[in-house]
Amino acid sequence: MNLTKWFAIGLSCTTALSVIPATQAAEYQVGAVISLTGVNARGGTGMHEGIKVAESVFNQRGGNVQIKVETINDESSPAKAVAAVERLAANKVVAITGGATSDIVGPAATAADKLGLPFMTSGGTSSEFLTQGFKSFFRINNTTGYVKAMAGLLETMQVKKLAVIYSTKKSTSEMARMMQQYMAEKGVVVTMHPFEATTVDFKPIINKIKLQDKPDAINMIGYENDYVGILRATRVLKPQVKAMVGAWQIATSKMYQDFPDLVDKTYGTEMLPVPVTFNRPEGQAFEAAFRKLYPHEPDYLSQYGFVQGMLLFEAIARAEAAGTLDKGGIAQELRSTPVDTIIGNVRFTEQGDNEEFVQNIGQHQKGNIVIVWPESASTGAMQFPGTPW
Amino acid sequence: MMKSFIKLMWFPLLLATLVPAIWHQQPYILSMFTDALTIGALALAWAMLGNLGGMVSFGHSAFFGTGAYISSMLAMNSGMPVLLSMLCGGLAAALTTLLMLPTLRLKGTYFALAILAYSQIFRVLAMQLEGITGGSAGLSGIPTLPVVMGFALNSKLGVYYVILALLTLFLLIYTVLARSDYGLALKAMHDSEAATQVVGVNSLLLKALVLLLSAFMTGLVGAFNAHHMNFLEPDYAFNASWVIVPIIAAIFGGFRSLNGPLVGALVVYLTDQLLFKVLFPTGNLMILGGLLVAIILISPRGLLPLLHSAQRRFYRAKA
Repeated sequence: MNLTKWFAIGLSCTTALSVIPATQAAEYQVGAVISLTGVNARGGTGMHEGIKVAESVFNQRGGNVQIKVETINDESSPAKAVAAVERLAANKVVAITGGATSDIVGPAATAADKLGLPFMTSGGTSSEFLTQGFKSFFRINNTTGYVKAMAGLLETMQVKKLAVIYSTKKSTSEMARMMQQYMAEKGVVVTMHPFEATTVDFKPIINKIKLQDKPDAINMIGYENDYVGILRATRVLKPQVKAMVGAWQIATSKMYQDFPDLVDKTYGTEMLPVPVTFNRPEGQAFEAAFRKLYPHEPDYLSQYGFVQGMLLFEAIARAEAAGTLDKGGIAQELRSTPVDTIIGNVRFTEQGDNEEFVQNIGQHQKGNIVIVWPESASTGAMQFPGTPW
Repeated sequence: MMKSFIKLMWFPLLLATLVPAIWHQQPYILSMFTDALTIGALALAWAMLGNLGGMVSFGHSAFFGTGAYISSMLAMNSGMPVLLSMLCGGLAAALTTLLMLPTLRLKGTYFALAILAYSQIFRVLAMQLEGITGGSAGLSGIPTLPVVMGFALNSKLGVYYVILALLTLFLLIYTVLARSDYGLALKAMHDSEAATQVVGVNSLLLKALVLLLSAFMTGLVGAFNAHHMNFLEPDYAFNASWVIVPIIAAIFGGFRSLNGPLVGALVVYLTDQLLFKVLFPTGNLMILGGLLVAIILISPRGLLPLLHSAQRRFYRAKA
């Protein structure tokens, strides 16, 4: 065959390929209703970063479906979260994700339910969402998982007396009551110290704990600002405790960057060690995409955002393939498909709760976060007894 | 009579016809108008107290929260029809003013601070009475507005008309009061409370009545909001934003005029949510703050008086 013939064959193939229609990926919009400003901004921003990473990772896989996330800042206001859901519904999104705290998730999920949109969150941990009768509400974490982890750690520490300082907000007070019940059943003497969300001076509470309760450990159940206030008060009054254990938003690299002396040796719920290490491909993809998009370490908030995003996007893709997208297919796919994720197995109950959820506990150790509980997930030894002062 | 009625009602009538006609198929825009009218109704209740009673209140969230809680609890626990429970919510808010009567002897900032303290007391009460209010966890699943003669008041259009109806009612109440002998006495008290007392006017009683009326209006809006949102918690119900945003709206629009607070609420809320928030998703409040400072510097009496004087200047120049 001479060169002209080869050229003619090559040209024909190129022409043929160009005429065959390329498979177009269907693009679907997913709404993110999230607190980027206001009192929930820290939690909302972290979760939103994870959702954007999920969008990037999912789209790079190049399947039949492409996802576009449309975000609306709810300004930490329930009324604005409802309006945001309505606006996104008008923009023809196929599902909603987000909701940084339970007081936002409640109204937003109700609005989504009325509009027939699936709602996926990692921010509404309160148990009441399971009894609301939502048709397609899903969450990847819950209060029980956090309580199991903190109680497990305290049992390992063989704590006999525990003081619980907790914010009177919805999720935190529910978690505190569950902790009290759980620990009391184990024979631990528990004293409860509620505080209002506006409290800034924790010295009276800490003083009472120091002089009256004399516990082995203090359990802090609140948010970032609360921990800072509590730890500042403990630095001044130095109660004789062996451990300071927090719930969410404390064992994060950002907390160490901002308050290195305050948080060292404290414990908190955290799935990721710092520096972050992932052994499995999905975790590595998350970490790589995160570092590409954001100039700081990922934390558990972004990890949750990523997982809730990926689960939703994958369910959309499966529903699209099955032709059930407009027939409740997303919710159906989420319920019927257990998935192994970077926070462990996710299996949704009929009410949308992830029954497999259990948290890990991390400890700040001189700029690193070491996973210290459960033993199967630990990345180092816990420093116990250990307090920041 | 007819002329003054039209002068008063032209704006609500415009809102009743124009907004649904243009945006009836856009639930988001309708909900924005509903939220703006909610702010407008609160702003009107607040402005009435300031304009007629001469009292500046920073504690109107106490009435808002009380109305919301009482209405929600009645509808949830006793099965009372929602519209009736809303009315009871408004009346309960009005009754709370009896607890505040001692503060009426205070003037200016002292009254404002005392009433602010009351709102905090009510918030703490709602938190502590866990058995009936749900405590910090709040109430969810609050009954929605009913269907009346086949028209769903809980639909987007329904809630819009309900809040517009409440606002129109408030405008009428405000006007009737302002034009009555009581209104005249209240205005006279502005110039000299001592002088009006000398001529036999019971200034304390008058101030109590106008506070009661303002509280009733605010409580009614609180009740409406609870049934519209189907959710309530102490931090939400007694949030300072239920008084701050209406104050901003009233001052922006011109709190001494009747339609000023309503115009202010629409301009402030809709511009912020539909324009600034789209342009600057996380910096919208900064822009709004700048705009407010600008309007106060340019026209301390608000936007509506500014527009009126501009209109007068235009006609004078034309003549």
